[in-house]
Amino acid sequence: MRGRLVIVLAVEVVMSAPLFAHHGSAAFDNGKAAILKGTVAQWVYSNPHCLLTVDVKGEDGTVVRWIAETQAPSIMYPAGYRKDSFKVGDQVTVNVEPVKNGLPIGRIREVVLADGTTLGGTNSVPIPPKGQ
Amino acid sequence: MPLRGMVSTVALLMAVLACPVGTLAQNSGHGKSADGWPQPVWDQPPVTAQNRKAAPRRDLSGMWGPAGGHMAGVQAGGVLAKPNNGRPENQLPYTPYGLELYRSHKAAEGIDAVLPADNNDPRNNCEPLGVPRYNHYNVRLTQIFQDEAKVVILYHYDNRWRVIWTDGRKLPKVVDGGVEIDGELREQRIFGYSVGRWVDDDTLEVQTVGTLPEDRVWLDSTGRPISDHVRVTETLRRVDYDNLEWSETIDDPKVYTTPWQTMKLPMRLHDPHTDVMEYYCSPAEQDAYDKIFGSAASQKK
Repeated sequence: MRGRLVIVLAVEVVMSAPLFAHHGSAAFDNGKAAILKGTVAQWVYSNPHCLLTVDVKGEDGTVVRWIAETQAPSIMYPAGYRKDSFKVGDQVTVNVEPVKNGLPIGRIREVVLADGTTLGGTNSVPIPPKGQ
Repeated sequence: MPLRGMVSTVALLMAVLACPVGTLAQNSGHGKSADGWPQPVWDQPPVTAQNRKAAPRRDLSGMWGPAGGHMAGVQAGGVLAKPNNGRPENQLPYTPYGLELYRSHKAAEGIDAVLPADNNDPRNNCEPLGVPRYNHYNVRLTQIFQDEAKVVILYHYDNRWRVIWTDGRKLPKVVDGGVEIDGELREQRIFGYSVGRWVDDDTLEVQTVGTLPEDRVWLDSTGRPISDHVRVTETLRRVDYDNLEWSETIDDPKVYTTPWQTMKLPMRLHDPHTDVMEYYCSPAEQDAYDKIFGSAASQKK
């Protein structure tokens, strides 16, 4: 699948609220969103933040490796993030808030899995565990 | 089976974790789990006049979580009652020394947040947060156990626990470098020295002194300071069976010219069987995170 990277400038009221983040909100470019379509290279389910690594192929064929963080597992569990939510090779669409310094890193606002399942942010609609 | 006069802190912790909780809520919602590991239910139905139950007398025990949901106790933007957002009503009554301290703190959050590379929050090294900052840092599922001599609070973040003595002992006198007990200088403690007394059958008032000095701890994640001369007053009022109100006021003449209220956090009772996922600060995992992500995020343009 040919990936696309679209930078969307958007003013979102919700992003003006302070978020808990180990490295703080100051590193992130509030109001910006990067929509990444790509292939999962790694999923780390750990404190202090979970990390999703996604390879995104641009229009010119160049692959850019993005790393996107969520909050810690205990915080993201209600939103549906599990240890096995992502496998290497999965196709995903990730909406991230990028950092200000221009590097391909950011924090996850939403992930759409290949089957259409959407995992949101910390305040998204809870996704209960299987069997609950 | 209640706890009975244990003196070993290790034994205390093991005991409280093993203590049956048969007196806890029946109407606080119940996540189902086929294997018996229910997850927290954050959207419990409200307590109404029809299902409201009276609070048990002088009993705070239970598993409590912020009534506003799992993010309601985060307080990344500063203490709940006065978020550090620059608004006039949230300005603090700093002493000159307190303001100097505040300016020396480079926080990752709040109106004066700096880029991560400049952040000097002691939390970054997994340092203990101390009292009262544990009350202002990602408060989520919070367990309370008690016996005839003490109330024990188990904080979610970093699996920390704290003892509040309710057996009538005196609050130590604060002196330079620590507190005075039986004529001796005693050491400053991460959780300080806490004593509680029942104001009425529903309300425990807790006083804490003897905490760590200002070069070790912050009040909140926005870098507001707190000193070792602070007196922290908390009230834990069980509004009814399923609801608890946790309030806090600090009196720190070294840093603030007047006492002020930092928090009033409504808490809701959760099912005692609820599984609590770990949320700890591990230097090894922190290091791994920084190598993959944090260091790059901290770089300036």
